[in-house]
This record gives sequence, structure tokens and C-alpha cells, in this order.
Amino acid sequence: MDTTFRGGVHPKGHKELSRQVPLRPYDAKGEIVLPLGQGIGKPAKPTVKKDDPVLVGQIIAEADGFISSNIACSCSGKVKAIEKRRTISGASAECIIIDNDGQYTMAEGIGVKDDVNLLSNEQITARVKNAGIIGLGGAGFPTHVKLAPRDPSAIRYIIANGAECEPYITCNDQLMRTNAEGILEGLEIILRLFPNARGVVAIEDNKPEAIAAMNDAAEKRHVSNRITILPMKTKYPQGGERSLIQAIAGVDFPVSKLPADVGCIVDNVGTIYAIGRAVVYNEPLFTHVLSVTGEAVVNPSNLIVRNGTMVSELVEACGGIKEDVTLKKALSGGPMMGFAMSSLDVPVVKTTNAITLLPEDEVEKAESKLTNCLHCGRCTTVCPQGLLPQLMADAEHVGDLDRYEHKLFGLECISCGSCTYVCPAKRPLTQIFKQTKAEILARKRAQQQAGGGK
Amino acid sequence: MNMALNISSGPHIRDRWSTRFIMGIVFMSLVPAAVVGVVVHGLHAFLIILVSIVAAVGTEFLFDVICKKGRSYLDGSAAVTGLLLALSLSPDTPLYGPVIGSVFAILVVKCCFGGLGKNFINPALAGRCFLLISFSNSMTVFKVDMVSSATPVAEMLAGKAVNVTSMFLGTSNAVIGSSIAALLFGGLILWAFDIIHGEICFSVLGGFTLFVALFGGQGFDPVFLAANICGGGVVMGAFFMATDYVTSPVSKLGQTIYGLIIGVLGGLFRVFGQSADSFSYSILMGNLFTPLIDMYILPKPFAYRKKAIARQNGEVPKPFGQRIPRSVKVIAVITLLAGLALGAVYSITEETIKDQKQKAAWQSYQTVVPEAMNFRAVQAPDIYGQIYGTSFGRVTINEAVIGMDAYGKTVGYAISVTSSEGYDGNITISVGISADGVVNGISFTELHETPGKGMLAADADFSGQFTDRMVTSFKLITGGAQATANSIDNISGATVTSKAVVNAVNAALDFFNNAKGVQ
Repeated sequence: MDTTFRGGVHPKGHKELSRQVPLRPYDAKGEIVLPLGQGIGKPAKPTVKKDDPVLVGQIIAEADGFISSNIACSCSGKVKAIEKRRTISGASAECIIIDNDGQYTMAEGIGVKDDVNLLSNEQITARVKNAGIIGLGGAGFPTHVKLAPRDPSAIRYIIANGAECEPYITCNDQLMRTNAEGILEGLEIILRLFPNARGVVAIEDNKPEAIAAMNDAAEKRHVSNRITILPMKTKYPQGGERSLIQAIAGVDFPVSKLPADVGCIVDNVGTIYAIGRAVVYNEPLFTHVLSVTGEAVVNPSNLIVRNGTMVSELVEACGGIKEDVTLKKALSGGPMMGFAMSSLDVPVVKTTNAITLLPEDEVEKAESKLTNCLHCGRCTTVCPQGLLPQLMADAEHVGDLDRYEHKLFGLECISCGSCTYVCPAKRPLTQIFKQTKAEILARKRAQQQAGGGK
Repeated sequence: MNMALNISSGPHIRDRWSTRFIMGIVFMSLVPAAVVGVVVHGLHAFLIILVSIVAAVGTEFLFDVICKKGRSYLDGSAAVTGLLLALSLSPDTPLYGPVIGSVFAILVVKCCFGGLGKNFINPALAGRCFLLISFSNSMTVFKVDMVSSATPVAEMLAGKAVNVTSMFLGTSNAVIGSSIAALLFGGLILWAFDIIHGEICFSVLGGFTLFVALFGGQGFDPVFLAANICGGGVVMGAFFMATDYVTSPVSKLGQTIYGLIIGVLGGLFRVFGQSADSFSYSILMGNLFTPLIDMYILPKPFAYRKKAIARQNGEVPKPFGQRIPRSVKVIAVITLLAGLALGAVYSITEETIKDQKQKAAWQSYQTVVPEAMNFRAVQAPDIYGQIYGTSFGRVTINEAVIGMDAYGKTVGYAISVTSSEGYDGNITISVGISADGVVNGISFTELHETPGKGMLAADADFSGQFTDRMVTSFKLITGGAQATANSIDNISGATVTSKAVVNAVNAALDFFNNAKGVQ
């Protein structure tokens, strides 16, 4: 039986829509909009100003502080404006808008192969940092920070996350099938930084072609026995970093700790591929893979897109919305952890791994089936963190935040959505937990500030 | 492009399971028991079920309409409550019973406390207990062929033998949903759908069985235990009532404790309360412990458990493949605990069982020597417990006693004798002989022969033949043969049993004649 974690759910995959569609590069025709804040951390500081000419791969905004990352330009042309635009979350944020000349002229020195063996560890992390690589799985944590733990020798596992457990999404499946060697190259580079670590490429067993491709590439490259290609059971949230660490390293750890604290580093296969490109070819992160899928789109596809391309343009590139359906919901990401977009006129960012276009909204349909909590315990069974969602919701309902936080460990919720997915009473549990977590954290900050003022 | 997009917090997909789907499965899992009940008990049972369900759903409908509470009557939970209540009633309940019970269950216990998921005790059980207390005369009527009679559990508590097979099949004189076979089938359905879990079912049954075995006075006698489990709603309680989501604890440990509370209380009420309807009350009392258990017994998240903390601090787990699967560990622990429990119960109950056996023997001596006020044991240690003589087959004399009147005068003798050549194991008989050698009668203290055949040995038609005859030995004849002074008519179809009984009685007579002088 394939390795897996405790709990979890089995939502319908819907991956058949796009899983056999090969990756296709798509070059934006229209303007490119690059939000300064992409992923976790402080927004980057622009290094260009209006009317400056820019080239592909040129760094146009620099990291501002330790947890922040560079932004590379993904087209050539000139800076049209630096202004507030609507972003994928629905909020307005500062963006650099590039007037795309459609030439895609590369900046100097990009794409030139280097001999990796001559690079020092510091040079490797510097290149990763310069390339503006962040976690492409969704959270968007700056990768150069992940690669610099306090004690590199304590790292036991580098986990390349190719689980892709979210329904609908297939771009990493295709990436592993077509760029298996590039991923292994990136993984080998990371392993150089961590002498005591083993590399594990974790892939859900619903992607046999990807598993085979990775195994072939491993054989071809004669990778060391430090690297294992590990099939995982198909189960959501298998690709959550905590689920992977639980399954592979056998360790559960609280949200107050980072994976590196228990000797693990988890990076998406896309991120690892980008690390390889950045270190070997000195290529910053300006393209990434993405699935445009869902029952509402004409040609579900896996694309290599340029950072900052408008979502509406990508949808049109995939044939647009089917004529006989109405688009009810457009998600950035998959249906479990992705979020609903209010408009398609927003740019994709580095962490956008899918645009899921749905003609039906199950949330809307479930509203008519809403009942009181039955205390059936299905939420407890599926929670990958071992929490008690039904009691957490009860505690929230009566306003007992103390019990919520200390007796029920409510802050350990990772918002994976499994409890909400299985709830027969159709209660919006994850939403309640996200709000309650925000409320408790806000209260703590307020208390700290009040305490600091004395 | 259409821009009226829906916005909501994730996840954006939902499982197909809904409240109504779960209630539908629970309802369907009760249908087999209902069908058996209707087939066995007839149309009136069907009417009770129908009236109960209609009353339950109707009550919730009216409540919803009057209090403007949406359409919760459609979620199926009221129908389940109605069906469960009907199945726990006597098939002879007057039809106002299920109506009152359902209205009480839905209106008072469920709706008044906030509807689905908010009741603090199981509504169906509360309705049943309300009826039992309020209308105890008409609710506990059980008729057989239009004559009132007692339920198997009531009979068992009165010390009578019960037919476990009919209790298992549901053909006995009990509530509508008393077919253990059908209930187990329903329980399996719930199990297959992962709606009920082993923790509650097994801890209820385990706690109950252990308590009855320890204090019921008959130890691990399988027939006795089976009769106790198959009667009085224990199985329905363990699979369908104690497992009610709303009124049972959340954690597995909590569920086990809760189940044990119910099982032990059920055993207590059964053994010491001598009440046939008591299991419902034990579940209701268990329900009351649920909030308390949920307050204190909370499993910690995975990351805060002992093993996880050790691993966070650097303990390296065994590589995958060398770890012993959890299921194996659990089964090993359960097996060990069960073995220890069995051993403990056996050693505790051994003495009690011996006492019970002794008591039963003395009672049978009294039956066969009715004039005696006192008995004195005859000492013959080298004969007792050995195969007696050569002409009686495998027969042993267990004990002989002399019966005396109030003045110490011998009025008769009782001899306990066992033949191990019954059709199904041992047959033990107390043979009473008057002072002048006339057989007073025989009484069985151990008989497990085939029902309808060998079991007829205990009937007066056969055993009465020995009474008031004075012979040195009896002779077994088959039906139709000429009766003689010492002949005993065979039980048709049970020659082995008949022969064993006659041999045993003859051995007792022989012992009596040889030992007459012995005082």
C-alpha cells in the first residue's frame, strides 16, 4: 500500500479533463501586470519607473527585507505605469504595468548554461534569491529563506512535492512527464546544500505516467541513491506539506514550528524545476506552469505562462467559455483551497497554479441542504491535523475562544477544507475556522500592543 | 463574458452525503427489523409503526410551521425517531401509545431543545420511557394467543427457561423490533456506511456481558448470557440508540467510557433491579454523561501527542515497513484484555456457580422428598464421582442425602446421579426414594437434550412414570409393547435420552438398595 497520512478525503478528481494535454507555452499578447506583492512577505520595491524600457528576465522590483522576493519582468517593452490594479484576490494592490512589445527580447546573460560544480553553496542560494523564486504550490513562501535553515546538517528530507492532490489541477503532472530531468537537476542542487538529507519525489499514484517519467529520468541521470521516487496514496490533502512530512518522515508538528524544525524541507516540483533553471541557466522566475480547466472551458489545457498575464486572456487562449453553459464560479487554484475570483480581468501571479472554471456552484447548491450539526464526527475522522472541528464550531458558536484555542487547539487548523467537504449538514466549517483564527490572532496583537505601551 | 461570478470561501466542492442521506441509511437499516416485527406480530404492529412515524414527522412539521423554523421535518430525522420508537414498543400497544410517545419525543425532547442535533437525550428512548412510566399498564401488555403473558426477559428474571433461538429470530413475545438477526443485519449496514463505529457497540455489549457474567450468578453459561443479550432491547440499544451521534461523545476514548457506563448500568438494572425494560434507562443515563465526557476527554491534535513530541525532539521513527501496523497492536491488546477479563470473571464466579449448583441440587432434593425438613449427606467418598457398577453404562452417583422430618426421623432419601450418555452431554437427576423404598419422583438438575425430543424427558408424561412405584429396577420398553410392573415407556424419537435416564434411575435404586443399612 502506498505511503500516506492519517485522515483526509477523496474528492472526485476531474483530472481527466486536462491530464493528457501536453504543456504548451503561451506568450501574452496584451499588457503584463505584475503585482509587487506575490506570495508571503513584504511587497517588493520597484527598481524601474514609468517609461523605462525593460527586457525579459530583468529584475524590475527588489526584495524588501528578509521575507520578500524579487520580481523579474516576463516580457520586453516599457513600463506603462506603476499603479493600483485589481489582483487575483479581488483587492487592489500596487502593480507594475508593462506595455508588452511582443518581441520577448531576453536580457543579457540569461539562459547561458553554467557549470554548477564550480558554484559555492552561497552562490547557489544567492542565485535562488535573485531569481525571485517563491513556493509555487500556493503559499508562496520565499524559497531562499526555506533553503537557509539554522542548521543545514539537521535536514533529513528534501521532499519534492509532486502529489498534486487538488482536484482538476494537472500542470505539475505534465511538468513531471516532460521535464523530469530538470526537476531532478534542481533536487540535486538542493541536496548539495544539505549533506545529511535524502531527496524524495512524492507523487500521488493517480499519475502513473509521471511516476514512470521520473523513474526513467532518475535512471538516465544515474542519480545517487539519495533520491527516491515515492508513489503516494491518492488522497486530499496529500500534497499539504504537513501531510507529506507525516507520511514520509513520520513526524507531526504544531503550526508554531516550521518543517525545517523537524528536519524537512518541502518544495513543489515546479519550484524545484525553477531552482534548477535559476542556478544552472541563471534564469529568473518569469514563467510557470498552470492548468486552465473546469467543465466550463472549451479546451482544458496545461500552459507555461508568463507571470502577469491576464486571466481573461488565458481563458480565451483555451477557447473561452463553452457556449451552452454559464460560468458560475472562477477559481484561482483548485476547488479545495483555491479562492473564488470576482472577475477574470486580473493578472496571474507566480503562485497561480490553476484557473478552474465551473458551470455549477456546489456551495450554492449545498446551502439548501444546510442543517444543524449532527455530531456525526465525519469531520473529526478526516481532519489531517487530528482536530475536533465539530467541537471547535460549537465553541466558536458560544464565543468560548479560550476553549477554542487552548482545549481544542483551534489555531492548528491548516484550512485544508476537508471537514467542510465531508460535512453532511453542509456547515461552512473552514470559513468559521479561518475567521476565528484571524480574530484570535488580532486579539493577541492588540493585547501585545497594549502590553508594550505600558 | 458573463461576469456575475459567485464568490464564497473554500472549499468549493461538497461531498454528496447530506443529513437526509444519513437519515435515509439509518431508516433503511431499521427496515429489516420492522419487517420481521410485522410478519411475526401482524397488522397491528404495522399500524403502530405507521402511526408512530406519521405522528413524529407531523409533530415536527407543525412545530416548523408554527415557529417558522424552515423545513427541518424533511431531513428524515423525525421519521427515524418515529420508527425507532415504534420498534421499541409492544406489538399490543394501543395506537394512542405511539402518538403520545412520538409527540413527546419530537416536541419536548427534540424541538424544544433546538431541533436536530441539540437534544440532550435520545428522543425515541425518551418517548418510550415516557410511555412506560405514564401508561405502564397498557404499554407492557404482551399477548400470546390473546392471553397476556410475560416477555422472555421477564420470564428469565422469574427464573424460568427461555428459548434463545426464538429471541434471536424475533419470534418471541417481545417488542416489535426484537429480532436480533434483523437488528444485527441493520447494524452491519450502518457499519458498512461507517455511520456506527465499534467503540460504542462493543463497549456497551462488553460492559453488559461482563457485568451479567460477574453478578448474574451463572458465570459464563453461554445460554444464560445469550438470553440476557438477546432480550430487553440490549442489541437495539447498542447498535441504534447508544450510537446516536448527537447524544454520544466525540472521542474514541470518550465513546468507550460512555459505552461501558451504559453496559454496566444496563447489567446493574437487569441483575439487581430485576427489571425487564431497564436498558432504555441505562442509555438515557449514559446520554447524560456525554457533555461531561466531551468537556474533559478530548484527544489532542496529532502534533501534541506524546509520540509526536518525542519525534519533534529528534527521536527517529523506524523506517516504513518496519513499523508494526496499528491494527495488529490494537487486536493484540484487545485479545490480551479479553483473556484477562475472562480469567478474572471465571475465578470470581467459580465459587458462586458452585454455590448456585449446590443450591439447585438441594432444591431438587426438596422436590423429590417433599416431607423432609432437613437433609443430611450420606458419606460414601469411594463411590461418589466414579462410574457406578457395570450394568448402568456411564453413570456416576454424585451424592446421596437422607431427608428427615422436624423430629429427625428419616422420611426418605434423595440421590443425585449423572449419566454422561445423554444425546447431548450430561443428564443429572435427583431421585427421591421414600423410607420404605417407593420412588417419590425424579427431578432434573441438568438436561440439554434436543428440544421437542429428548427435552420431553422432563415432562410429567415421561418422568412421572417413575413416581410411586416400588421396583428394584426399571425396564425401558418401546411404544406398543406390553406394560409390565417395572416397564417405562420410551420417549418417541429419543431412545438415547430415555435409556440414559432409566439407567441413571436404576443406578440410584441399586445404590439405595445396597447402601440401605448405611447411615
